Amino acid sequence: MTDTSWQRLDALDHKIVSKLALDARISNRAIAAELGVTEGTIRTRIKRLQNEGLIQFTVVTDFRMAGSPNLCMLGIDADPSRVTEVAARLKMMPEINCVVLLLGRFNLLAMGLFTNIEQLNELVVEQIRSMPGIQRVETSISVHNLKYEAGVAKITRIAAID
Amino acid sequence: MHETFAFDETDRKIVEQLRQNGRATNQQIAESLKLIASTVSTRIRRMEEAGVLRVVAVSDFAVHDYHVLIHLAVEVSGRPALEVAEELADFREVFAAHLVTGRYEISLLLALRDMEELSPLITEKLSQVSGVRSMTPAIGLDIVKYGLDTAPIDRKRLV
Repeated sequence: MTDTSWQRLDALDHKIVSKLALDARISNRAIAAELGVTEGTIRTRIKRLQNEGLIQFTVVTDFRMAGSPNLCMLGIDADPSRVTEVAARLKMMPEINCVVLLLGRFNLLAMGLFTNIEQLNELVVEQIRSMPGIQRVETSISVHNLKYEAGVAKITRIAAID
Repeated sequence: MHETFAFDETDRKIVEQLRQNGRATNQQIAESLKLIASTVSTRIRRMEEAGVLRVVAVSDFAVHDYHVLIHLAVEVSGRPALEVAEELADFREVFAAHLVTGRYEISLLLALRDMEELSPLITEKLSQVSGVRSMTPAIGLDIVKYGLDTAPIDRKRLV
């Protein structure tokens, strides 16, 4: 599911990642001082983590600014031979944040944040159900998020190079 | 509690730059937007203090040694679903937990280091939670896309 670069992460890498996870704008100098290493070490480590697509620096916006959306989950069944093709099309949709290929109850799980049911319905009915190979789309809407993780993601190589 | 924050055009442009590279220096952002660096730093601080956004490092699943992802649809009976969900969400292996509408009450995503973690997690932990009537799993074969750029922001974490 993932490549092997993770094996080369040591304790210092993990400490650097946890500092940056709280505030990506902290200076190399401040991280270096806190962890008792040189600024150059921090710079090199961060560069490597970025180049290997392990971390990415971005903005997380508060729910309120996005109109307090609900996380919507789509359990999708598709013709087995077309599942990867469907996944690739879902991946291209800006409204869909997560796409996971599954073996089990559904072939695919897709998730997105929606502020209204019409918007969700439009996406499901007009764009997803009409894709070739789709058999069934079951929607569930999160009414309460107990654990929600925005700090962990699948980082794609293309995004890492930017 | 529901303070309104008015973004102006300059704020929006700064956020756009930060989305591309959250670690761009104030000077770099200032140069590309024809502003001065102190304006950029003041604006970013103001947005962060208002709790409307955070500039963070997002890390890959691999950084956390998560190599197995499982979706679990949980049906509940005899106990309020929220209570059951709260108890399930406390386990370290539970990566995401949501109370949902539909055929089952709770949606869980488990993030594991390897398949060997699954058996003790299911038999000794999750199935022991009172109110869990059934658990229907699906194995994650490939994470094609995963990234939530909107989240409830805890302002206390900024201090």
